Amino acid sequence: MKNPEDKKIFIVIPALNEEKVIQETLDEIKNAGYSNIIVVDDGSSDQTYAKAKEVENVTSLRHKINRGKGAAVKTGIEAAKLLEAEIIVTMDGDGQHDPRDIQKLVEPIIQDKKDVVLGTRLQNPKGMPFYKRLHNYIANGITWYLFGLWVTDSQSGFRAYSRRAADLINTQHDRYEYDSEVIREIYIYKLKYGEVPIKVRYTEYSMNKENKQNLFNGIKTLYRMLWKIIN
Amino acid sequence: MQFHLYQIVITIVSAYMIFQGIRNYLKGKTGQTITKILIRIVVWGGMATVATFPKITNVLASVIGLEGNINAVIMAGFLLIFLIIFKLLSAIERLERDISILTRKDTLENLDKNN
Repeated sequence: MKNPEDKKIFIVIPALNEEKVIQETLDEIKNAGYSNIIVVDDGSSDQTYAKAKEVENVTSLRHKINRGKGAAVKTGIEAAKLLEAEIIVTMDGDGQHDPRDIQKLVEPIIQDKKDVVLGTRLQNPKGMPFYKRLHNYIANGITWYLFGLWVTDSQSGFRAYSRRAADLINTQHDRYEYDSEVIREIYIYKLKYGEVPIKVRYTEYSMNKENKQNLFNGIKTLYRMLWKIIN
Repeated sequence: MQFHLYQIVITIVSAYMIFQGIRNYLKGKTGQTITKILIRIVVWGGMATVATFPKITNVLASVIGLEGNINAVIMAGFLLIFLIIFKLLSAIERLERDISILTRKDTLENLDKNN
């Protein structure tokens, strides 16, 4: 019988216009001891895909056109499933997430205690800008109201899924509302979930990104979530 | 029965739009469906009917339950526009989803090639 510690862990990274940091992010993950890495370039207009391809032992995929973070994560998860992943971890491509936290996320799944583990920034919000905290609280409230589950960070992209959870969760949203939709799927399929505090590094680069989640994008995300419900 | 200029213009434009729609449909032009031609007939035909026979709006007002016939026309118009927008947004949503599925399929085919 296979040792639980030997489970095949895949790291999925959606990336959009991250040419400046993608190689550093991938190297950091590799140095943390993870060798199964999938990058999904979501139709970047810069050299993200080429830069990711230069990194050895990384599976680089590309959406020919931009489809959104949710769509890119889903493509990465599907790819990981095809490569027989047993645990799938999703994290951002801008280097905000610390790969040393991956172990904390996968541990409850390895021990078969959880199906999904959500990394949460709000249990340790040190260094997190106030407006981001506020944005998250509002998003958590809306996610709870619409999808029925209270979590402390519904918008975190740093998550780990068991193979069972990855097979069950079937999201339809393509953009940032994907994160909340996963919460709905956890609720619907009664998956065992837990939250683990994670460290987030707010660098000048990540704070000045054009495609980051802001108030305007937040309103658009809410609109799309509501539209999906009435449609 | 006396006709005003606006009635004649609206009727001519409506007749032209309906004629164009039917011609495109019969020619089998891409994207011309029976639903689209029916919507075109209802919208332009309705406008022509109201322009030609303004008193018909009294019937519409009594059916809807509003006192003013103009209010009834405006309300019916809003309702129709809302339904069309809803249908359009649904169609866009469906197309977006299909594009994502196709994009994903194409991307995962490359995964097969790489491995």
